[in-house]
Formats: sequence, C-alpha cells, structure tokens
Amino acid sequence: MRKLLIVLFFLLLFSTFEVYSQEVEISGFARNYTGVILDENNEYSMLQNTFSLDFSHFSDNTEFRAEPRLTSNMEGDPELELKQLYIDVFFTSFDLRIGKQQIIWGKGDGVFITDLVSPKNLSEFILPDFDEIRTGLTALKTDFYAGSSIFEFVWVPVFTPTAMPDSDSIWNPMPFEIKDENRKDVSKKLENSELFFRYSRLGSALDFEIVTAWMWDDDCSLEYDYGSGDITSSHNRIAAAGGSFSYPLGGVVIRGDGAFYTGKHFTPDFAPANSGKPIEKNYFHYLGGIDYTLFDINLSSQFIQKVILDYEDVIAEDEIKNTVTFLAKKDFLRETLNLELFAYYGLNNSDWLLRPKVLYDLSDSVEIIFGSNLFFGDSGDYGRFDSNDMAYTKVKYSF
Amino acid sequence: MKNRNILTALLTLFILIPFTVSSQNQITGEEAIYKVYNRAEGNDQSGKLVMTLINKRGDTRVREIAQFIKAYGNDEKKIMFFLSPSDVKNTSFMNWSYDEKGKNDDQWIYLPALKKVKRISSDSKGDSFMGSDFTYDDLGDRHPSSDTHNLLKEEIIDGEKYLVVESVTKDDDYIYSKTVTWIMPDKWIGYKKDFYDEDGDLLKTLTVKDYRQINGYWIITESEMHNVQKDHTTVMKLSDLKLDTGIPDSKFTERMMKRGHR
Repeated sequence: MRKLLIVLFFLLLFSTFEVYSQEVEISGFARNYTGVILDENNEYSMLQNTFSLDFSHFSDNTEFRAEPRLTSNMEGDPELELKQLYIDVFFTSFDLRIGKQQIIWGKGDGVFITDLVSPKNLSEFILPDFDEIRTGLTALKTDFYAGSSIFEFVWVPVFTPTAMPDSDSIWNPMPFEIKDENRKDVSKKLENSELFFRYSRLGSALDFEIVTAWMWDDDCSLEYDYGSGDITSSHNRIAAAGGSFSYPLGGVVIRGDGAFYTGKHFTPDFAPANSGKPIEKNYFHYLGGIDYTLFDINLSSQFIQKVILDYEDVIAEDEIKNTVTFLAKKDFLRETLNLELFAYYGLNNSDWLLRPKVLYDLSDSVEIIFGSNLFFGDSGDYGRFDSNDMAYTKVKYSF
Repeated sequence: MKNRNILTALLTLFILIPFTVSSQNQITGEEAIYKVYNRAEGNDQSGKLVMTLINKRGDTRVREIAQFIKAYGNDEKKIMFFLSPSDVKNTSFMNWSYDEKGKNDDQWIYLPALKKVKRISSDSKGDSFMGSDFTYDDLGDRHPSSDTHNLLKEEIIDGEKYLVVESVTKDDDYIYSKTVTWIMPDKWIGYKKDFYDEDGDLLKTLTVKDYRQINGYWIITESEMHNVQKDHTTVMKLSDLKLDTGIPDSKFTERMMKRGHR
C-alpha cells in the first residue's frame, strides 16, 4: 500500500507539472549505486536505486523549490524523503527562505567545523557525496546584504540530530545497542529551538566568515548505568563561535576554519572505576588548508586539530586529535574523464581512509563512477572499519 | 656635374619621402595589441553564450551559459551562470580581473550540490573551460604588458588588410610560448590568432567567424577555436547581446552566484 502511494505521488507530480511545465523547471537524476565488500565473501554493502527530482518555480521576487527523493535499498520498502522544500522571497537588500533546506557554512572540505547548521547523515559513515551527508532541516533563514557583506540569521524551530547507522549496520561504531526508551530526544517545543548567525564577506583581498550558534549538540553523548547495564543517549545545549577564511596568495589559496565550542558533554570510557556519566568540557576545532595546481593536477591538503580543554583521562576521546586530508584531481579527454583521490589520515592512530575514484561521462546525461573506499589501521575513526573495504560503481542519469 | 648632383638629391628625396610617411603611419606591434586590448566594448554587456564542442569524429556536445560583464575602469567583473547540460546546471563562476600589472584574477565557483561559494586558484587559468578548447585564460583579456610584441608584417587576405603581430610571453611558466595575431587595423579586432605550445609548436588557432557593430561598438559574436594537435574544435556563439544596460554592481556578488540566473 505504501509503495502504491509513493508511485501515485510521483505520477501526480508528473501529471500536475506537465500542465504547468512552461513555468516550472524540472531537473533531477536517476542513479544506481552498487557496492561490494572486498573480502572473501564479497557481500554487497550497497544496492541502492535513487530517483531524485528538483522542481523550481520563480517569479520576479519569489521562488519555490522542492526536491523529493525516492530511494530503494537492498532491504525494506522504498523511502520517499524531501531533501528540500522551501520558499524564497527576495527583497532589494534582504532575502527570506522558509522551509526545509540545507545550509552549508565554512571553508573546510569534507570536515564539519563551522558548518554548524545542517545535521549530518552518517548512516554510511562519511562515504556519501558531501552534498548528501548534510540533511535538510526546517528553518527560517534571512540574509541581509550590504555590498559584499552578508548578515545571515537562522532560526531552527525543531532540533534534528545526526543520523547514525542502524545497530546492525557495518558502519555502526558502537559495539552495543541503545534501547529506544533510553534515547533521550529533545522535545519539540519553542524553547528548544536553535539560533545561528553568520557574517560573511567576499572580496579581492580575502573571503571570510564569522559564525556563532546557540544550538543542540548534533552528536549524542552516552551514559552508562552500571547497575542496570543500560546505556542512555542524550543531546545537550552547546554554544559555538568561530570563523573561516580563504586567502589568495599568488596562484595558491590558503584556507582556515576554526571554532570554539562550549558545553559539550563528552562520553566517558566505560570502566567500573568511572562514574559512567558524560563529562562537560569546552574544546577547539580548527583546520588550515592549501589549494594549488601542480602539473595540471588540482591539489588540496588540510591539517585538522581538535583540542579538548581541561582534559580528564576518563574521556573516551583523545585530548588532542590530529587529522590530515589530501585531495588530488585531474581531468582528461576534455573533462569527460576525471581521476580523483581523497585521503584522510588520522595521526593519533596512524589510520587511513583512501577514496580513489574514476568518473567518466558517457554523454552529457550519463556518468559512470568506479571507486573504492579503503580503510587501513587497527583503531581510530578509520582504522576501526578496516574490514569494510569496498569497491563500488555508480551510474547516474541526469536530466 | 652640378645638375647631376641636383638630380641625385631629388631622386633621393623622392625615394625617401614615401618611406618617411610610411614610418610615421606605421604602428608598432605593441601599439596594435594595446589598440585591440583597449577596443571599446561598452561599459557592460550581457548575453547568452553557446559553446559547441566538436571532436575529431564530428560528435558534438553543447554547453549554454548566461554571462554578464561590467567594466570598472580598466578592471572587469564577469559572472557566468551555466544553464546546460543538466549536470552543471545552476553552477556559477565569477571572475574579477585587474589591469594592475602582476595582480592575479580573483575567481570563485558556486557548485549547487555543495551549496557554497568556493574561491579557486587563479593558477587554473590554463585549465580547459568546461571541457572546451578555450582555457579560462583565453576567455579573459591578457594584459599586453605580459608579452613582448613584434609587428611581423602586413598581409592582405580577401582584400582585407591585417597587421600580423607576434607576442612572446615574458613568463616562462605561461601555457603558450607565443601567439601570432592577425589584427584588423580599421576595427582593432584580433581576427585570427595562432597559439604555440611550450615547445614552440602550433597548438590552436582561433578564428573570428562573425562580428557586428552594436551600439557603435565592434563585438565578436562568433568564434572558433581549433586544436590542431588533437583535431578538435569549439565554436562559441554569443546571442541576445545587450550593451550598456546599466548592470548593477550587485550582479557580481555571492548572493547572485547562489541565486543563479533568473
């Protein structure tokens, strides 16, 4: 019945928009994504078909946009979600956007430091495309413009946490299950809304952003009850302030992105000697990066550091965590063939994630990707998935 | 003897006079290139750019762009909105170029999937523009002071006079070792241009296929870039051209890059 409703929904969309197709712009894609685990069993890690539409309609000072997406996975019914659904109203010196939207901040690539607003979907770790990791959230966003400066205010009425992998997923980082009754969700009421502010300026000498937020921690903290053996997850209020910049220096672009977070509750090591309760600490998270071109290869590298202040040994995370990322990209055959390597290296545990991929445009509409996600190490953010090495193909038809 | 001396003097005078007049009218290669560089094209212009990429088998791929350009003295701001194909739709590219010698362009790209404006390295100017035979550098106005110019000859082609100017780069790392431009001296249009690679071999030839006088300005509306080494071609056509419409400064901002072509 649910499948039938979904099919009817899309038929209705098409028939409706066919009538108004002169006014409504429709684009989208259909994609098959097949992944195989690289071990002796070669089990499928992914067998997914996606049909995504992007409707937009605009007049002089308004725009409506809807991005419904239908996804079928190996198991379960197809899922219909609205990636975005919002209305823009444009004024002379400010804009309003209301509805479900993705809001992306910061100058970092593949890391989330001042990118504070849209929550992440980590159900497949950090492997989905960057645009698919950020989920949409219902918000009221307003931007005020003064020359090259933008003042942006965001009000998020309902908190959305990071989407984590299912307990039986190969990407689940926790070796235990949290019962539904032990998940302390943030109740949906006005006082639990979130506020974000950004000032950004784009100019010849420097691009920069200054951000601040009063929000809920997207990632949960865990508490262990030694008596019952239960583990409880909860989210806490945190505040953050920081900024990012990109600066051209000759033919090189230097980037920085950093923030100070206060009120974070860190999960403790679960050991009888500890209380099992989360520990509240402040921390810094920042990166320095450089983008340049060498022998027609686009290169980018980032050094990322996270420092927990006033550290206590019972905290499960390291006091200082260092990570390096590296990206190399080159186009061939008039940009129809693209080779790319993205690598993460965790310095604390000497663990790696290597993501080589080859992208070929069969035509302007059809692209084929062959790629691999290779994990190395025994522990750490990447090493713990050492047995999840996978190869995949994506075939995408855009229209 | 005296008469013979007078005759010799007169003969010398008659021979020298045309040369003197000619050298007074003769323009140098550098002056010619500056004339092309400074040719008035209006304070601002907007239009639709259609690029057709043709490979050696004759297969074609089409890219459509809406572009807006505005002059700020000798500096220039340009914003491009990619309309098709579908996989690049809503991508936008902004370039601010400067007359100041040695000052690099500022370039940004907005990728709708990533939903953020990203500054890109101006070292990428030698990269192909959307897979075409034009590089980002070919689409900009290279400052004449970056090269040494030499007038090679005057040439008549199909009854039209051209000044042929060789421009040798002063920068060893530049993508072209030299270019040779055929300039129409009555309109100061670079009608044809040969690009030589770092080894000094002919790499590409740019030919103007159509030009028009719009609002009193000579504007190139169709050109073709042929890569002679790889034998593929890109045809670039400009349509819906509007000049001096008073494009506001706010067109060349992050706000417009994100909003896209409306």
